[in-house]
Amino acid sequence: MQDIYQATKEALILLLGGDPGIWEIVGISFSVSLQAILYITPLSLLLAFLLAFGNFRGRRILISTFHTFLAIPAVVVGLTVYIFLSRNGPLGDLGLLFSQTAMVIGQMILAFPIVVAMSHSALQSSDRAIWETAKTLGASSPKAMFTVMYEARFGLFAAVIAAFSRIIAEVGCSMMVGGNILHHTRNIPTAIALETSKGEFAQGIALGLVLLFLALALNLLLSSARYRLEMA
Amino acid sequence: MQGSVRFDNVEKVYGDRVLLSIDTFTVNPGQCILISGDNGSGKTTLLKIMSGLLKPEKATVTKNDVSLPWVKAKSMLQSEMVYLHQTPYMFDTSVFNNVAYGLRATKVPKAQVEEKVWQCLRWARLDHLTPRNAKLLSGGERQRVALTRARIVNPSFLILDEPTANMDRGSRHQTYELIQRLQSEGMSIVISSHDVEFFANIIDFHYFLEAGNLRKIDIGTKQRKHKSSAVVTPFQRKGR
Repeated sequence: MQDIYQATKEALILLLGGDPGIWEIVGISFSVSLQAILYITPLSLLLAFLLAFGNFRGRRILISTFHTFLAIPAVVVGLTVYIFLSRNGPLGDLGLLFSQTAMVIGQMILAFPIVVAMSHSALQSSDRAIWETAKTLGASSPKAMFTVMYEARFGLFAAVIAAFSRIIAEVGCSMMVGGNILHHTRNIPTAIALETSKGEFAQGIALGLVLLFLALALNLLLSSARYRLEMA
Repeated sequence: MQGSVRFDNVEKVYGDRVLLSIDTFTVNPGQCILISGDNGSGKTTLLKIMSGLLKPEKATVTKNDVSLPWVKAKSMLQSEMVYLHQTPYMFDTSVFNNVAYGLRATKVPKAQVEEKVWQCLRWARLDHLTPRNAKLLSGGERQRVALTRARIVNPSFLILDEPTANMDRGSRHQTYELIQRLQSEGMSIVISSHDVEFFANIIDFHYFLEAGNLRKIDIGTKQRKHKSSAVVTPFQRKGR
């Protein structure tokens, strides 16, 4: 008990004291995960919209596939990306293995089905009258699509936040394709795993607190946006 | 461009059920047509097909004696008709932005949008609602905002799906008055409603949708004198 208390105290000192090592790791985590989420969000939302409002062959199979990929283990994604990016792999010549780019690719693959599946659910449950009203008032199809997305924005926002929360906290893929290299590819979860294995709990707890505060902040942001809408 | 639109051999099927099988139906400029029918008879489906929002299994659409394939017909219908849902959808923004939607969607210059929206809101006597969030309006207010939102884009035909359903007497009266004013301006209107008596003063034709087909009903002496400038409400007519 005393050890946990001591480690937590040290963790807070590390965080609040602005320990450069800790904040560098936090910076790498945010940089990688924000890039991944930014790159996949537009395509995910477009695909989710097509799955919700389109009527094409294979639509149901695609929906089931994306829902299945929600449960894909991060290590499986890591393994797949590793095989593709390793020296003998099909993309080995690009020399991307153990780089932040490889981590971004892995996290994009993890986040993509989450944003698609959750956005699809949000759009599917939105009122069809939004699309019809927009079209009948003269909106082009892209304009009508953006109108539907705006009306379902809280569901879409929740989808993006859920995906971001998943990828910033995943360890398997980042460890495999990033390599956990200090100052280069060490992010929050890989650092926690390493420090814990070394018995250095303070840094692990400090980084864990960052993740917890992040989750809290994102959820508060979403709740306050919903509250403002209800009170409007 | 105003002109008659004729629909021939309209067929809509849901599963094994042939919901609509209409031989011919014409909407003419300046007319007010009422379509009645039992619940589930296909009134909403027909109105959505007429507005280009729903694809029928079969249909020949003719405009100015030119027969159009569905892809072209759909685009023509969407540009000429504005469809209002039974419970109009209000975008999650102010009444002003809701009314401005159609103009902004068609890239009308900002200054003109402002001027036209205010003009239309004053015309509908809704200017006091301007800053309010449209989602929080009452059923009657929503219907009148939706009518104003439709009027501003100046459609050739206005398609109203049960415009006075589930409304209190006051809201029904105000909505009716607005529809009558739209018609007196020369707007062509197609209304679906169970309440035939309520609209008897403004309609030119009444069709009954039965077994998927439209049957014309004789409205006899109740036919409206629709060029009259006086606004006569059904309440006055019935001496309520």
